[in-house]
Amino acid sequence: MSTANQEEFINRIKMALGRPFAKSPREADLFGSEMCAETRAILERIKNRTAEDRKQLLETLIEAAGPIHLTVRACVDINAVTDAIAEVVLDKDPEWGDKKRVVAWRHPLIESLNLPAALSEQDVPVFFSDLQETDEESLRRRIIDSYIGITSADFCMADTATLVMRTRPGQARAVSLVPAIHIAVIELNRIIADLKELYALLKWDPQESKVGLTNCMTFISGPSKTADIEATMVYGAHGPREVHVFVITAEY
Amino acid sequence: MTKITTENYVAEARKAIKNEVLQRALADLQNRFGRGTAECYRRLPEGPDLRLRAHEIRMKDIENLDVVLETLAANIRKNGGQVFFAKDGQAAVNYCREVAHKHKVRRVVKGKSMVSEEIGLNDALIDSGIDVSETDLGEYIIQLAAETPSHIIAPAIHKTRYDVGSLFADKLDIPYEDDPPRLTRIARKALREKFLAADMGTSGCNIACAETGHITTVSNEGNIRMSITLPKVHIAIMGMERVTARLEDHDMLLRLLCRGAAAQNMATYVSYIGGPRTAHQADGPQEFHLVVLDNGRSRMLADEEFREMLCCIRCAACLNVCPVYAKIGGHSYGFAYSGPVGAVVTPLLVGINRAKDLCLGETLCGACQDICPVNINLPRMLLALRTKLAEGDTAWGVTAVNRKEKFLFQAWSWIIRNRGLYDVAVKLAAMGQKLLIPKGGMIRRLPPPVHAWTKERDIRPLAAESFISRWKKGIK
Repeated sequence: MSTANQEEFINRIKMALGRPFAKSPREADLFGSEMCAETRAILERIKNRTAEDRKQLLETLIEAAGPIHLTVRACVDINAVTDAIAEVVLDKDPEWGDKKRVVAWRHPLIESLNLPAALSEQDVPVFFSDLQETDEESLRRRIIDSYIGITSADFCMADTATLVMRTRPGQARAVSLVPAIHIAVIELNRIIADLKELYALLKWDPQESKVGLTNCMTFISGPSKTADIEATMVYGAHGPREVHVFVITAEY
Repeated sequence: MTKITTENYVAEARKAIKNEVLQRALADLQNRFGRGTAECYRRLPEGPDLRLRAHEIRMKDIENLDVVLETLAANIRKNGGQVFFAKDGQAAVNYCREVAHKHKVRRVVKGKSMVSEEIGLNDALIDSGIDVSETDLGEYIIQLAAETPSHIIAPAIHKTRYDVGSLFADKLDIPYEDDPPRLTRIARKALREKFLAADMGTSGCNIACAETGHITTVSNEGNIRMSITLPKVHIAIMGMERVTARLEDHDMLLRLLCRGAAAQNMATYVSYIGGPRTAHQADGPQEFHLVVLDNGRSRMLADEEFREMLCCIRCAACLNVCPVYAKIGGHSYGFAYSGPVGAVVTPLLVGINRAKDLCLGETLCGACQDICPVNINLPRMLLALRTKLAEGDTAWGVTAVNRKEKFLFQAWSWIIRNRGLYDVAVKLAAMGQKLLIPKGGMIRRLPPPVHAWTKERDIRPLAAESFISRWKKGIK
């Protein structure tokens, strides 16, 4: 698209700000490119978290989850998670159609759950949202036909019970969106306190900032909801009606 | 272009006041959200003063908007997104139509966005033969009813469950139903088909982040995520002011936005979108376009009196506490933006004379500023607009509206600066008022030219003897 357009647009802003020819202020200042003491303290706090601190964060998460209809369950190990998922699959019926199908992220933690084997007893197929296995159109179909979507998450903010997910190959965005039930499996150390910690990590932590926000970073806080008819709260507007977070507490 | 009916303010307000259903809905809305938001601010670890810090941050971004926007555009392009700068609504609409045309788009799903209401995007796309579906439940109801939103966040607040039931029965050809959960499920099903069939999705942008190159969308329903995840093209339209330089500032702004908009700690969904999907990603749009819209905003930016208005993040908290909005509802404001924010923004966007009643109608009580998550001084700007209307203003092309009023105030100002004249005037008035036969101690009707004062209220008569003259006689 024409950059002439942009130039004219930005010049209008410069004129409006009363500095048509003057250099704009120091960008360093504007974008905060020096780590401040507060951020350093936040990163230190995250790094030095003890097992006890993490348990405390889990408590905070469970507390915040209640009012927004999010289910959080602590599981001692991988096997406990697999059992818990099998239980959900057994309990819940599909919303659209009759056939129970599950779609999951291609993700080391999710693959270690051995879901295809575990759910074969119930005759429920498990698909992975991976383009290396199938073409785009049939993957899309599989996600639409699944009633449960299983993902992990990059972080979970305890303060607001919010899952934070970045986008990677094999980890379709629609898995946490289109199926009626969303299950997220995370390890205890993925729980952070709040937005402040998240942004500090994304901007300053060497590893996390390298990944960055990716082209799609999503926050999910509980099931989809609406209050558009007479301000009556209804869960299950367009996204999932239920969201479950299973936290693996094993090594702690 | 979108319809502007600001001239009908008084007539629409009268209608709204007589509408009992609307009055109940508005009272209920304010009871819940107005109070809820104030309570949320009190519970913030930083307290309500966080709003003042947010104001500073917003102002800093606005005062560096040229650098911030160029950085945002450069970063989005680096990630494969396309950015278009639109001078006005027409340019933005044309661009969206071109993109739709290029991709042979037939069905569009739309995430709720006030800026698209501002530029009349729906009608423009529909005119090009495209099927456009609103996807926010409230907006969907409004679209089926062929109406306009009456609240920025709760667009269908003026509809009862029975209205919605009849509407769905009629338009979707289903049996009548008036239970909100069941009505929601009906819409969920109908819209799911729309999401799956759409080839383009549009959204607004709550607050972009320049340094990372992302826009954000915030919703509770998940409709925006659906709209921007499943179709192959995503166009986001943002007012040029909806951006911050730094990522960390989203901490404060997101928290305040969710509290201001719906008295929530966090909305169900927040998405950061920085570009189209990459090679091996399984889904997401193949093309991502960002349209940055001026449409009169640079004029606000140029006028230091109104620059502050660009801090606004369109949360609608001010609607939920405004005593005027509580009575006249959103439709009276005659444009996309209602309530106190509309009373300032609309005149600045569509013409101060044209929308004069909006700013004249507010009470200046200040509740809007107290609830504003970024502490915008709306009353000050309402007064500034009124000043322009009283005195005329060449820069904004305002013609003075009420010369009689101006003359009266000039005369009054002259009288009160002349002691003797003032005393005579007060004495004359005290005598003259006897002719007005005060009933029950109050004057019911004043004579011209001040008769308008008593059109809707009574006035207390002057004391028979002034305080000064009693003082001189030595009152106790």
